[in-house]
Amino acid sequence: MKKISLISCIAVISLLFGSWAMAADTIPVGVPLAMTGAYTGSGDDYFKGIKMAIDEINEAGGLLGKQIEIIRYDSKEFAPEVVMQGADYLCGQMKVASVHAGWAGWGQDVRAYGKYDAPFFCDDGSQAAVNVFKEDPEKYYNIYQLTDTGIEQASSMFRVLMALPYKYPNKKVVIINTDDAWGVEVGDTLVSNFEKKGWKVAKRETVPYGTNEWGTIMTRIRRIKPAIIHVEIPSAQEVITFFRQFIKKPTSSILSYGWGITPREVVENLGKKADGIVGEMPSGLAGPVAPNAASQAWMDKYIKLFKHQLPAGSWITYTGVMAWASAVKAVGDPYDFKAVNKHLKEVGYKGHLGQIKWDKDNVLRLQAGAPVVHYQVQNGELRTIYTDPPVKPYKDAKFILPRWIKK
Amino acid sequence: MSSKRMATIMGVTYGIAAIMPFFVGDIRFIMHILIMCLIWAVVASCWDLIMGFAGIFSFGQVAFFVIGAYTSAILSVQWNVPSVVAILLAGVFTAGMGVIVGLPCLKLAGPYVALVTFGVHMTLMPVLRGEIGIALGSGGSQGILTIPPVNILGYTFSSANQIPTFYFTLFLSVVCTVIILAVIKSYWGTAFLALKDSEEFAMSLGVSAFKYKLMVFALTSFLTGVMGAFYGHYIGMLSTRMLELDLFCTLMVMLVVGGIGRFPGAILGAFITVTANELLAPLGAYRAVTLGALVVLLVLLLPNGVMGLWLKRSDAEA
Repeated sequence: MKKISLISCIAVISLLFGSWAMAADTIPVGVPLAMTGAYTGSGDDYFKGIKMAIDEINEAGGLLGKQIEIIRYDSKEFAPEVVMQGADYLCGQMKVASVHAGWAGWGQDVRAYGKYDAPFFCDDGSQAAVNVFKEDPEKYYNIYQLTDTGIEQASSMFRVLMALPYKYPNKKVVIINTDDAWGVEVGDTLVSNFEKKGWKVAKRETVPYGTNEWGTIMTRIRRIKPAIIHVEIPSAQEVITFFRQFIKKPTSSILSYGWGITPREVVENLGKKADGIVGEMPSGLAGPVAPNAASQAWMDKYIKLFKHQLPAGSWITYTGVMAWASAVKAVGDPYDFKAVNKHLKEVGYKGHLGQIKWDKDNVLRLQAGAPVVHYQVQNGELRTIYTDPPVKPYKDAKFILPRWIKK
Repeated sequence: MSSKRMATIMGVTYGIAAIMPFFVGDIRFIMHILIMCLIWAVVASCWDLIMGFAGIFSFGQVAFFVIGAYTSAILSVQWNVPSVVAILLAGVFTAGMGVIVGLPCLKLAGPYVALVTFGVHMTLMPVLRGEIGIALGSGGSQGILTIPPVNILGYTFSSANQIPTFYFTLFLSVVCTVIILAVIKSYWGTAFLALKDSEEFAMSLGVSAFKYKLMVFALTSFLTGVMGAFYGHYIGMLSTRMLELDLFCTLMVMLVVGGIGRFPGAILGAFITVTANELLAPLGAYRAVTLGALVVLLVLLLPNGVMGLWLKRSDAEA
């Protein structure tokens, strides 16, 4: 019995402390993403891009001759102490050379990872996170946002809705958004943009995640008969149930799902029934026909590896890893954080779509190298119809009038 | 269990915790886990007092924790109230909220109390995120991201200087749990147990259910509110994501692991659960499943939690 206890003690101690003994011939990188809880789906999509990039680097001989080792951390549902714990674990204990995340805490992450110097890439898409950065840009110099804020993304959505080759029957819009920082930021911006353009926001509804019964809201929508319904809920089940209840007795409205069109479960679940819905992906790669040969090859590889269309987050987290690796190569030392961060900030990175550069707030603003991709569901899959900036139709893609709109 | 044995278990647990900084003081990650263990030890003990000893199926403990955290943060950020005063005021406010929630619960039986208190938990998120919360200074859906650290005579206790913060948290945790121990072993504790076992009989002996149930709501809410307030100042930021089910379930696991109504099991439960949760982190998506399976096994093998081990030994000695 004593022997068993001794062995158990040794096992527990090894589990606790063994991870510190990092092999010196690898470069550890931290990946804090939701692996359990409500955000697991998006966490998985972000991880695929990160893993693909690291596998490619390792297969090509590694970074500066060393293999990159992924150290994952479960961000669960982003409670403040978990975000902080993740930063202390990855940067403080595991001494990672960089951190690659997706949704990461909407400002909490800036404070948590800003205590360290390792480059931290995230996709908060939130003005709140940028505001935290602005409090002390020198302290938070290692924080890089991979997408623009909700405000800018919403403005892009508005520009494309106005650019659609379709004459709206009236100037009434219904906006439904989630009650989190993202939903409110996008909803507020859309309200402001529509009102400036002389539209009437006939209904603005802020709903919690998990809203799947849309009866009351749908009754109001059917009474209002808006020209546009924008639903900004970055979670599959809510937008799927909304569509199912909407289509039973649809109004002649353009149905815009914003970011909510990109969780792959939406199109996989609704299939061709969803034809006509529009939405967007920030810092995205247009598809299914990619803009150039290099990005097409990348997309083909992605689809072959993961057996599904490109969801939000994968391509830009891939690009983030490659940008960091490029900076490390240029500097020659992954732990010379000051030099790596300086290189990232000053040089940026030449990705599939051209040069990307972070602005003074370390935000990857809308740019040709990382555009907002605007989709429409056509024939049961996401097809790029516009890219922004500037707002222009994508290749020979055409907007199709949703079948529920009466001509 | 005798007061002496309870105090011994608490002393050994906190004693081991107190010497940890000598070995891991320079490892921020582990120091952070230790500080969180001390915070959760109090919250879980309060929950144990109200549910395990007083027999009130309250599911509002996380809500009271969040109320305390937000109250102190709002007082500090919006009204520049010194952090120590803000923490105490937050405790008092949370105690008041506990009494308000407790009043309707006095007329309800077990599962209905659970429904009402969990209703408070569920209502809190939309309130804090909505117009009322924003008007009060909750920061709405973004939360509060700039909470000042606790400052006592020029010494700050924050995540930036963990060793002093650890000992300050240890002090708070010991004070709170000693209060809980004193209550359990006082006339109050006997009254709680009497009411739990047979309310009618206890009342016939002159034990006022109204008075004692309200007292336990007020006391546990006060202590939970104080720890919530301290948590906000320690982390430096708050968001309503604390009200997701993850923390709620973890706290419940702490209680089950420690043994419900087996104080100071909740303290041990907090240390064991947080440590196990971190040890299982490499399992990723399987962490929650594995932890759940371990809890099921524990419940089957030790229905009284880890405190069951001591109870078995006590029985054997008897």
